[in-house]
Amino acid sequence: MSTTDTDLLGKALTEQERELLDAYEALKKLAAQEDLPPCAARNVRRALMSMWQATNDLDLQFEQLYEFGV
Amino acid sequence: MAYSEYWNPKNEKLSREELQALQLLKLRRMCEWAYATTPYHRRKFDAAGFKPEQLKSLDDIRRIPFMTREEWMDSLLEKPLFGDILATDPKNAIRYHLTSGTTGRTPLRVLDSMKDWDWISEMWCYGLWGFGIRPEDIVYFAFGYGSFIGFWGAHYACEKMGALVIPGGAQTTDARIHQIIEMGVTTVCSTPTYALHLWQKARERGIDLAKESKVNKVILSGEPAGSIPAVKHQLEEAWGAKCGDTAGMTEIGTIMIFECSHQSGGTHIIEDHFIEEVLNPANDEPVGYDELGERVVSSFGRGFIPLIRYRTKDMVMKVPASTCSCGRTWDLYSGGIRGRWDDMKMIRGTNVYPRAVEAIIREYVAIDEFQIYIWRKDDIQDEITIKLEIKPGHEVEWVVLQHKLAKDLANAHEGLRFNIERVDYGILPHFELKAKRLVDVRPVAQY
Repeated sequence: MSTTDTDLLGKALTEQERELLDAYEALKKLAAQEDLPPCAARNVRRALMSMWQATNDLDLQFEQLYEFGV
Repeated sequence: MAYSEYWNPKNEKLSREELQALQLLKLRRMCEWAYATTPYHRRKFDAAGFKPEQLKSLDDIRRIPFMTREEWMDSLLEKPLFGDILATDPKNAIRYHLTSGTTGRTPLRVLDSMKDWDWISEMWCYGLWGFGIRPEDIVYFAFGYGSFIGFWGAHYACEKMGALVIPGGAQTTDARIHQIIEMGVTTVCSTPTYALHLWQKARERGIDLAKESKVNKVILSGEPAGSIPAVKHQLEEAWGAKCGDTAGMTEIGTIMIFECSHQSGGTHIIEDHFIEEVLNPANDEPVGYDELGERVVSSFGRGFIPLIRYRTKDMVMKVPASTCSCGRTWDLYSGGIRGRWDDMKMIRGTNVYPRAVEAIIREYVAIDEFQIYIWRKDDIQDEITIKLEIKPGHEVEWVVLQHKLAKDLANAHEGLRFNIERVDYGILPHFELKAKRLVDVRPVAQY
């Protein structure tokens, strides 16, 4: 789960933003697992790709994901 | 269901101070990323004495060296296929696209990862949602779906938004008209030229698209004409629909500006994902609102190929966000992309550099003199014709040459069709000093 309480601009996260960021971090943890079956590994990456957009659009994170092949 | 007017209400209404703080943070991180991962950028930053930590305010952006298409091309030529500009292993890519090059057969090649490719559609979502496309819409793409990036991002954006997508692909014009009517299409995505062509062909067959189709929005891209008032007016009358302009480039992979549903006469800059500087091309100094200058773009999207302070040669005029009544705090380009500061020509959505055309023509020893003649067919469709003279003694080569040359030129220009016309020897002007082989007789746009 995310450890930050603010967005990139230093504003306090709303409850909704907190949930989005937690979902994003959870997907990163899943993507780091090397023993997921292909059906899970690839779909987790698709989900992570999508959650990156939502959390990036809302200024919750700005980072790259190439270490996960995303 | 009531929808928000904005794709991202949080950022589309950020105060200017917050927007600039966000841009500074993203710019610094993107520069750190580029310096750490990309030999191209590390070399350029070092040569300019620039370090990312020097970015303390947005004004510091001027410390960053410009990136140019020519340098990018040089990098590709020195280190095929992608140069030394990739920030990560090509195995992380899921998409390959290209655009026509400046100097001949070498195109600009780009790669995108999963996340980058989805970001490309995300930028289209800002624009398409902003113009009023909603999940209930049925969207038709009059687009060839090739290696030219074109409307690919818009296609996936519409899927993401929940609209019904109809990919036109390689259909004939007649089939397209039929499908637009049969399927109750509400939105058409097309170049301005092709949107006019569709309407004209429908009219020739006795079909009035304004009455017989349900199209109420036409999304235009690929040519400046989408923001030229006379062309937009003609299109809106023809289709009985609102026409919204967008503009992007393969180098960033997507659109960076879009016209919103309030249609103020300009295109909003997606300022939470891009920094768009407007500079005087003569001295590289920033110009103010309402002054013409050159677009220089820094993108925060595609991390695979960091694009920082890229000189576009596009001619634009920035106006403040308050020019539009939509409530967005994002500035606009009045009149969209107004033209070019260099000799690049836009033909049916494809970039054509005269020097690249010449490089290909010069491979044919049978050709003596030539002229690149750009014209507009039936006041609608831009055409490019290569007029050429065959050297005396080489006449027999003409039949094979005309087909091969057309193919070579098309291959180097995203499949664009070139007309090849032979003229009698001595008809074309022959030059001893500065040659002028480009003749563009299209009417000049009035803003």
